[in-house]
Amino acid sequence: MADPGSQAGSEYPADPRPLIRGGDILILLLAAGLVGASFGAFWGPRGEGETALVTVDRSVIRELSLDQDGVFEIEGRIGLSTVMVDGGRVRFLDSPCPGRYCVHSGWLHRSGEVAACLPNGIVVEVLGGEREFDAINL
Amino acid sequence: MSRGAGLTGRRPYRHYYPAALLTAVILVGAGLEACGKTPEASRARFQAMGTLVEVSVYGEDAATADAAGAEVEALFDQLQQRWDPWGEGELGRLNANAGGIEPLMVDEDLAQLLDGAAAISRDSEGLFDPAVGGLIRMWAFSSEELVPTSPPDAEKIQQAVAAGRPLYEIWRADTRQLLLGPGTAIDLGGFAKGVAVDMAIDLLRNKGIENAIVNAGGDLRAIGRHGDRAWRIGVRDPRGEGVLAAIDVEGDESVFTSGDYERYFIFEGRRYHHIIDPRDGYPTPGVSSVTVIHQQAAVADAAATALFVAGVDAWPRTAARLGVTQVMLVETSGTIHMSPQMEDRTWLIPDPKPEVNIQQIPAL
Repeated sequence: MADPGSQAGSEYPADPRPLIRGGDILILLLAAGLVGASFGAFWGPRGEGETALVTVDRSVIRELSLDQDGVFEIEGRIGLSTVMVDGGRVRFLDSPCPGRYCVHSGWLHRSGEVAACLPNGIVVEVLGGEREFDAINL
Repeated sequence: MSRGAGLTGRRPYRHYYPAALLTAVILVGAGLEACGKTPEASRARFQAMGTLVEVSVYGEDAATADAAGAEVEALFDQLQQRWDPWGEGELGRLNANAGGIEPLMVDEDLAQLLDGAAAISRDSEGLFDPAVGGLIRMWAFSSEELVPTSPPDAEKIQQAVAAGRPLYEIWRADTRQLLLGPGTAIDLGGFAKGVAVDMAIDLLRNKGIENAIVNAGGDLRAIGRHGDRAWRIGVRDPRGEGVLAAIDVEGDESVFTSGDYERYFIFEGRRYHHIIDPRDGYPTPGVSSVTVIHQQAAVADAAATALFVAGVDAWPRTAARLGVTQVMLVETSGTIHMSPQMEDRTWLIPDPKPEVNIQQIPAL
């Protein structure tokens, strides 16, 4: 059977218009944009959190934006804990607990990371963005 | 219609419509893919056994997940009360009666726990030893309420070590009798949490939940998976404050880490952490963390402690004795030691990559 494509080519005169026209360029640009966007989505930095949720005895006390640096005092069960936001990260700076394990937890920035001052009943959790890990082993 | 129709059509751009439509569909599809999240796991969180416990459940409605979380919380509360070495429960009463010459009778539930702990204590040649409760208390690591600020008196430590006998020597399983000499106490930290996690997973399974993580302060057991992918676990970097390694877990596995970076104090420039070597009564030097993957959480928990105490040179032998094959040990220098079975499934995050030393676990 003859190739229908070659038949068509012989039946119709050659298209006088240029091979690539405005619409093609538009599609090429969109395709290039799509490749760029997917590259960012699939291989770019992931898991960065957007906010820090502060709870005291399971009630949400405040939601801190990780974009806004600052030092915040949180009233807990036994006293004031200090929480610091700096450059997209958050940490316990100080706490009235004896062991200070919350301060030892250090900086958190990944979505889903948690630090807690149990004696003071305060939990800081990073939320937002794409959660990279279902659990952090420590 | 003939394929040449577009060429002779009155509207010259008509033949672009299919291509433009296709592009639009791809763009919208990609947009949905990027923005539309796969359903997330439901989480319940509570405080128990001196730590934060998180129950993640996938593929169940919110009411089922909440109810499961509440039941696990009740279980943990009950176990904490019973197994607190210095509380009013079974173990607390036992420790309060230490020092006599007669052995103490142990309730059946607690006996079962001591059986399991004694077996690992024996297999680890005493490197994991719940009978060092007196020492742990001396170091003030036994409670959140105590403030460890300086090491105990060296002579007192020496006396406690000299008088101490490992659990497997003072526990008689057949008669359920425990001989607790003066100053001796049982502290099931490094085991009880694992047992509690195992029991919580059993509880979830009995409720028909097949995809879940029970995470007790970072030590966890995961069953099933997260929808169309495995559960993703990040192992904390003991020094870098970030994530050191990513591990995919599915089916039924526990991941437990013992580290020197949370419960510690600094005295005269030296770090004293909470993992005490029963052989000399001091925190084990040279090791930052040990991560163990094993099916049962109780075994993973005790093994992580035992391998930490075994240290940089001796851990493969202790792992072999405990029947544990997937181990990662991080030295205080940052050098990582891994069994080949662990290396196969571990993706190290830091860049540049830390120095890794692969060590076979010997056949015994």
